[in-house]
Amino acid sequence: MNSQGGFSMAGGGGGSSATATSSWVSPTSVSSSGKRIQREMAGLNLDPPPDCSAGPKGDNLYHWISTFIGPPGTPYQGGIFFLDLIFPIDYPFKPPQVVFKTRIYHCNVDSAGNLRLDILKNKWSPALTITKVLLAIRSIFTHPDPYDPLVPAIAHLYLADRAKHDELAAKWTLRFAT
Amino acid sequence: MQSNPVDNSQNTENLFSPRFKSVAAMAGWDEESILVASLIVEDTPERQFKHKKRSDLHFKTPPSTNTRRKRRDQKKSPISVPLPILNLDEEGELVMQESEKKKEPRIAVDDENKLGGDKLAKDNPDASCSNSALPCMDKLREELSCAICLEICFEPSTTSCGHSFCKKCLRSAADKCGKKCPKCRQLIGNSRSCTVNTVLWNTIQLLFPQDVAAKKESGWKTQKEHQSSERKANNDLISRNVRPSTRVSYRNTSVHHQPSTRVSNRDTSTSMWNQDEEDTPLVQRLRRREALERLIQSREASGRRRRGIPGQDEDAALALRLQREEFMEAFGGTNHEQSGNSLSTARANLRVMASRAAISIHSRGRRPM
Repeated sequence: MNSQGGFSMAGGGGGSSATATSSWVSPTSVSSSGKRIQREMAGLNLDPPPDCSAGPKGDNLYHWISTFIGPPGTPYQGGIFFLDLIFPIDYPFKPPQVVFKTRIYHCNVDSAGNLRLDILKNKWSPALTITKVLLAIRSIFTHPDPYDPLVPAIAHLYLADRAKHDELAAKWTLRFAT
Repeated sequence: MQSNPVDNSQNTENLFSPRFKSVAAMAGWDEESILVASLIVEDTPERQFKHKKRSDLHFKTPPSTNTRRKRRDQKKSPISVPLPILNLDEEGELVMQESEKKKEPRIAVDDENKLGGDKLAKDNPDASCSNSALPCMDKLREELSCAICLEICFEPSTTSCGHSFCKKCLRSAADKCGKKCPKCRQLIGNSRSCTVNTVLWNTIQLLFPQDVAAKKESGWKTQKEHQSSERKANNDLISRNVRPSTRVSYRNTSVHHQPSTRVSNRDTSTSMWNQDEEDTPLVQRLRRREALERLIQSREASGRRRRGIPGQDEDAALALRLQREEFMEAFGGTNHEQSGNSLSTARANLRVMASRAAISIHSRGRRPM
């Protein structure tokens, strides 16, 4: 949470470095995506969603890092989860790529940290924002979706023996996320 | 009740001077309408003068003995309206006017901007915002923002499901994310023919003139940047498979620098560009030519700006240079291209060269040097 000030400071230089790295993309799309990311960053600092924070990693506007606090009342309670958010150059027309950097026992997150979330794949819309993505990620902490699993075994256990699932998830949280 | 007409006539006689009445009669006003009119409170200076006069007259009139008439007077007659209340009304109106002014400082700023006046208001939009203390301005900003670029909608286009976005944003969304409304995922019609919601656009221009101006400016800049790639694509397309006559006509439109034609050209040019990207030797050739193009174009642009007339000479020179290079490449590249194709290209190039030369000579002869 204390790192948010630093994130907002880093926002200015991000656009130019991104422009320099992508020579083959037309300058308009780069600047418009950069502008939109900066706007989202300002909005996020003003009104951050609960239990999470996000901001650029270093001076690259297109590479963000996000932290989630395991919501109370879930087996992930007490854990801190780090995520990487990588914005494509034609954001917001393409969804950001979200990867869990902290291991988590969750039917929608595989061992590599890949996340299955419909709004980050085929249900993406350019009207969605980082704030909405963060809220969606937060909701899978409280409500895993076992009917669209990335790890079927965990989904199966979630449906068959919820108590066992929660116990395992809490164990993993204690082991990897604290 | 029988005395009513008498009362009225007495009243009016006392109320208005004979001169005023004669003027009113000339204007075609009967006494009743004068009475009614005098009841209407206005804050014009003339009116104040009239009221004053009338109240003076009122004080001069002897108090009536009839209590019934008194009551009637209080109910109906304009004299019964006391001056203090009138003043209060005026003050209230003034306050209302002030509050109205406060309510719409943005519009005032806009008017000033339109008149090309008050730079201070333009320079300190935040100051005018804080003066307004209007919470709905933020709401309006939110409401009139495009969900795609998160800025104030520029040339808003409204979908069939009722959601509005910048025309450009909606077009890109339809191209890249499918023809669904970004907000509600409803299928949207032919986005190619999407039109600007004029009322909304005018409203936005009135409410957020600064945002619109800023975006317009940046839009022009990017458009200029686009020109080079556009031209490149267009040139390539034309030199490859379009007859020289078409090329000349394109050249002529480009000479006049009309933004509207540019915009309409863009779609076709970008689509052709995508096609070209597929065969690599061509892309290489384009890249090589890009530097030369840009250089010539910048010189061209500066020349035009300097003299303010379409530089047909430069245009012709550019075309000739490009054609020459293309020509060389067409012959040099027979190894890795189909010979028949390159031969036809070369022939087309020769034809184009001839026509360009003719035009340049013609224009040179016509223009006073």
